[in-house]
Amino acid sequence: MEDLFIQISKAVVAGLMMGLVFGLVALGLTIIFGVMDIVNFAHGEFLMIGMYAGLLTATLLRVDPLVGLPVAAVVGILLGLVCYYSLVRFLLRGPIVAQLFGTFGLMLFLRNVALMVMGAEPQSLHHGILVGKSFVVGPGMVIELTKLAAGVLSLAAFAGTWWLLNRTKIGKGLTATALDGQAARYMGIPTERMNAFAWALGGATVSVAGALLVNFWPVDPNVGLLFTMIAFTTVALGGFGSIPGAALAGLIVGMMINIAPMWDACAVYLEMEVGWLHQFKYSFVYLAFFLIMVFRPRGLFGWKH
Amino acid sequence: MPRRLFVSVLAIMLGIALSFPAGAVEEIKIGVLYPLTGGAAAEGKELRDGAELATEIANNAKSELSMTMAKNAGIKSLGGAKIKLIIQDHQGNPQLGADLAKKLIQDDKVVGLMGAYHSAVTKTVAAVAERYGVPLINESSTSPALTKEGNKWFWRTTPHDTTFTNDLFVFLEGLTQGKVKGVKAFDKKDLLPVVSACEKTEWGSNVDAAIKELGKAKGFEPQVSLLYAAKAPDLSSEVQSLLAPKPGTMLFAGYGADAILMVKTLKSMKAKPKVIWGQDAGFESPEFVSTLGDDVEGILTRTVFSPRVGDVKKVAKEVNDLYKAKTGRDLSGASARSFTATQAWVHILEKAGSTKPEAIQKAANDIKIDADELIVPWKGIKFSTSGQDLGQNELGTGMIGQYQKGKDGKMILEIVYPFELATTNMIYPVKGW
Amino acid sequence: MEALKSAFDFSDFPRTDIWVARAVAAGLLVFPLLPHSSFAMATMIQFLMFSVYGMGWNTIGGYGGQVDLGKAQYVGIGAYTTAVMMIRWDVPFWFSLPIGMGLAVCWSFIIGYPLFRLKGHYFAIATIATSLILKDVFESWSFIGGARGLKIPLKGEMPNFLYIQFREDYYYYYIMLGFFFIGLFYLNWFRHSRIGFQLRSIKDNEDVAKSLGIDSHWSKIKAYAVATAFVAAVGSFHACYNFNIEPEDVMSLDLSVLIALMAMLGGAGSLFGPIIGAAVLVPMKNYLGAWFGARAGLVGLDLIIYATIIMVIAAFEPRGIWGLITRLRERRSD
Repeated sequence: MEDLFIQISKAVVAGLMMGLVFGLVALGLTIIFGVMDIVNFAHGEFLMIGMYAGLLTATLLRVDPLVGLPVAAVVGILLGLVCYYSLVRFLLRGPIVAQLFGTFGLMLFLRNVALMVMGAEPQSLHHGILVGKSFVVGPGMVIELTKLAAGVLSLAAFAGTWWLLNRTKIGKGLTATALDGQAARYMGIPTERMNAFAWALGGATVSVAGALLVNFWPVDPNVGLLFTMIAFTTVALGGFGSIPGAALAGLIVGMMINIAPMWDACAVYLEMEVGWLHQFKYSFVYLAFFLIMVFRPRGLFGWKH
Repeated sequence: MPRRLFVSVLAIMLGIALSFPAGAVEEIKIGVLYPLTGGAAAEGKELRDGAELATEIANNAKSELSMTMAKNAGIKSLGGAKIKLIIQDHQGNPQLGADLAKKLIQDDKVVGLMGAYHSAVTKTVAAVAERYGVPLINESSTSPALTKEGNKWFWRTTPHDTTFTNDLFVFLEGLTQGKVKGVKAFDKKDLLPVVSACEKTEWGSNVDAAIKELGKAKGFEPQVSLLYAAKAPDLSSEVQSLLAPKPGTMLFAGYGADAILMVKTLKSMKAKPKVIWGQDAGFESPEFVSTLGDDVEGILTRTVFSPRVGDVKKVAKEVNDLYKAKTGRDLSGASARSFTATQAWVHILEKAGSTKPEAIQKAANDIKIDADELIVPWKGIKFSTSGQDLGQNELGTGMIGQYQKGKDGKMILEIVYPFELATTNMIYPVKGW
Repeated sequence: MEALKSAFDFSDFPRTDIWVARAVAAGLLVFPLLPHSSFAMATMIQFLMFSVYGMGWNTIGGYGGQVDLGKAQYVGIGAYTTAVMMIRWDVPFWFSLPIGMGLAVCWSFIIGYPLFRLKGHYFAIATIATSLILKDVFESWSFIGGARGLKIPLKGEMPNFLYIQFREDYYYYYIMLGFFFIGLFYLNWFRHSRIGFQLRSIKDNEDVAKSLGIDSHWSKIKAYAVATAFVAAVGSFHACYNFNIEPEDVMSLDLSVLIALMAMLGGAGSLFGPIIGAAVLVPMKNYLGAWFGARAGLVGLDLIIYATIIMVIAAFEPRGIWGLITRLRERRSD
């Protein structure tokens, strides 16, 4: 019985640590959505580029992966701005279908550029102050430093974003644009520039999430889609456009991909078959998205932005 | 304008109809399918280098080597015709493998095929070979199911996973009885519980089944057995389930990146098993050692070759030296097997004296290659022509190696099984993390 | 009779188009008689397969404006039905084909009902979700071979028309060409049909369509079923043509993406759009792959080119290549 408790709490802790990062992954998506009602299909690819940015900084410059965070942030801002000015601006004039095609094309484009430049093989980091280190808490609870640091830093990124949106002039302009674009324009807020700012901010947060992830998650050009799905599920759970919603929903999604070990712990206790649930690890996430969109499109918490 | 566009669409379609010119007659073309890009690219390059070295030896007289193939330049019974390998990259994709096999057969007019490493790809390529009646010799796919299909055009030189997994349990039993060099007998309970995790395609699923079936018979039935996708980017939840019963023995079958990720995850979760064993493939790839460095020490892997075989077989050392001169690396399980399969091709063509498929089929079914010819420590090559395992080499045997640090500080695969071939004392238990 | 007439009625197209279409049809019919490499043959078969996939995608994605990125799940259902029935009960292809289509349509009704409550991006993502869930289920379902997939055994003597097993690829080519023409004429009928008009009015303005008494939800589901039947039929063919299927190959997201991509590129919502898309994309994909694939470092170049085209199209002409053609025409006639 005690063993069961330990196994479940292990899975919960692992899920929470991942969940903090998932929240950060979804944050950019929800900001962009909140400001201009457009959904970015290439969101996971932004994350993938952030992962590569972190990886390359660490391997080429022979510095610690944590130095890659600001580099990834800058890369993300540039990526967001370039995408906005060269593509999204035009998509906003077209029908919804065009927006879908456009960001879908962007997804394929980024993925295959990465494939061409970096090759298809998964790459991962093998050095750094945190990489591969872990410490034991209590009765056999192993905490990996990389994941702990990623969780703490993503909380910090969340706090920073919150401060930017609620305590600075530009953030207030952004919030105003999100609430009512028309009125914001009459008030003299440059909405076009605000849109670009939203893309820059979205790109920055998701790239930073990528640079955190790459510490313990191998990166390959196709990694984006899984995270696009995870981000969409997180945003759907938390309510579209809701920033605290994204943070909380991230934790729930983190738990979801750890359902399998929880079940295994119970299955041993109930003397049932162990291990088969792992193959459905991500299916839970997809299923959650489907069910929420169909039955509760406002999200779990029902917060309207 | 629209008319022009349509004309160009039409032109594209007609343009496709261009065909490629046929090659010269002086050479025997063999189509080779290996994964040169994708997750198993490093293994693919090993396979390619091994096959190319064997071709070089077959095509030129190298009297210093003690093998028949090196005595003549080219295939003597075919008027000294040279072997030409046409190597294609299937990227680990079964669909692409089948398409390329068709291309090799119809466009390049190859005499036969060789490949394709991944069991899932070999399965589709074998289906194409069967349809067109073209001989396929497989060097390193170890799924037992491949020779259970009753294919008439498929021969496999390597032993398969039933043999290897059986070796594993014989080895574990021997370990508890003190048969392993440097380890005293101990209670079997130390090795329990057993857990296993395999990748879930053709190969891994069969290894999983073999572990369950053969383990049960020997009292080593796995308490937790998982299947996971080889492309899985994160194995932490899987590893948590594996470590839950505090395992004594951990068994794995992984292809490349996933094998590395598995060991890294084990390390980060501070796993402390007594024995870690991998079913070749990812556990024997050059990247596995170069990426993980000292972390691989003590890990066991099933293999068919280690440079250490050179200590007992002269020919293995000679070929290994040539290989090292060519590539800068020692022969590995992959390159030794592709070398051996190419060698089998040479012997079969020599015996057939013709490039007609039926003649090759007959020669392959009749061939018997002696152990002295081979660089791998097998009893020889003789393909089964009846019964359950059609086209399977009956004389192959497996080995189990353990990564240990050599005097030069480099990791080397020391042999711990078969017991009589052991090259050094085994490290038991693994130091864990 | 009326339906047949409208299926063969292309009178609303300009005469040049009809002549070009006839020339292409004639070209397709005689292609196997021309000298060709097996690689070219495989490319042509793939072109036909993707044209029909695209036609299926087009019924809902083009005429209905609902972008589906989960078509591979129906390819999988079709392929697996045929393979399982052939392996376990020796059922010939022509019998399992309609059953596979039927099963796929049933599944499309089951998920279509909730799916069509969603719009735009959410619909697209939800189709990805359902497709991936089904793939996971197939991969762990041992009755149908799990992740290992299934292998269709050879039935001895070839050519075998009942189980469509042939050594020469041109048999497969002509079977697929038959599917292609049936699909084309069916879609031509669909354009003029009642449901076709309903769909287009929903796409233009759903609220107006509803006020005219069109049950938009039900119309979409019906069109989705048609789309599904197309895709599942090609899936069944795929199983026999390849002799080997596995979830990673027939249900992968890449397949869904390619299907959608071709139709979008050619022109969603036009009769010839998916065919043009496939004619451009498939040869490019195969030949670029063959030329550059050997020289690693240029992998993915083909998709980079398409993705760029897609982005440009989305920004300036959402109707695809066909839309560009139409636009050029309008300019000329002004």
